[in-house]
Amino acid sequence: MISNYLTLSIILFSLGILGVISRRNVFTVFMSIELMLNAANLAFISFSRLHISMDGQILALMVIAVAAAEASLALAVVILLHKHKGVLDTNIFSTLKG
Amino acid sequence: MFAELLFFGLAVMAVVGAIGLILFKHPMNGAMSFVVTLISLAGLYALLSAKLMFLVQLIVYAGAIMSLIVFIIMFLNIQDRDLPDEKGRGMFLLGGAVIITPIAWFLHKIVKSLPGSTTDILGGGFGGVKEVGLLLFKNWLLPFEIVSILLLVALIGAVVLAGKREDGK
Repeated sequence: MISNYLTLSIILFSLGILGVISRRNVFTVFMSIELMLNAANLAFISFSRLHISMDGQILALMVIAVAAAEASLALAVVILLHKHKGVLDTNIFSTLKG
Repeated sequence: MFAELLFFGLAVMAVVGAIGLILFKHPMNGAMSFVVTLISLAGLYALLSAKLMFLVQLIVYAGAIMSLIVFIIMFLNIQDRDLPDEKGRGMFLLGGAVIITPIAWFLHKIVKSLPGSTTDILGGGFGGVKEVGLLLFKNWLLPFEIVSILLLVALIGAVVLAGKREDGK
């Protein structure tokens, strides 16, 4: 049944939100965001199977490309943060306020 | 029957990997746990007859993006003392779960009301490289080009951000 796949997608998305709000380690927060993107991909592909049309799979492909771009930029920011402050705490990003 | 068993096995593996990601203290353990989730998701894509997405998930996501993340985690050489102390973690986790569970339950009810469809493996090239490629370059050409520009911007941005070298070093 397609609804089992969509339920799994909801569970994974909720776990991603929980990871973002409960953790302060910048890597874990980043990977939780990736988890939410993957849950969205699973929903896209489930609906693509439900309607027997491949447009959902192409949207999932686009999401993967955006995730790759996001990974490269986010990791560059993390390296800068570690070089200047020496910590991996998301609270340190509050210094970005003007 | 066999496909349903496979689905439940892969789903349990995906959820366990995600729970490990948000509970492990060290990001390296979290990353390894997240790889389990990604590989199970690739299996689920194969069960949904998305053959190209199965390949892309394994090669690009579990291969390239995760190896980049693991490389950076090892590059920074994170010790236990570098990690932020997360004292209120359990409280935030509990509070977040209390808020999110009703929303997820509501969404689950919506999903249950969808017209059920069997998930047999479709033949006839559904989700294959040729079919998805033809659709991508016919109907989705402009979004594809925009994504290529986005990747170029990310490339330049990463070089500008991380490639800076301070004077005197």
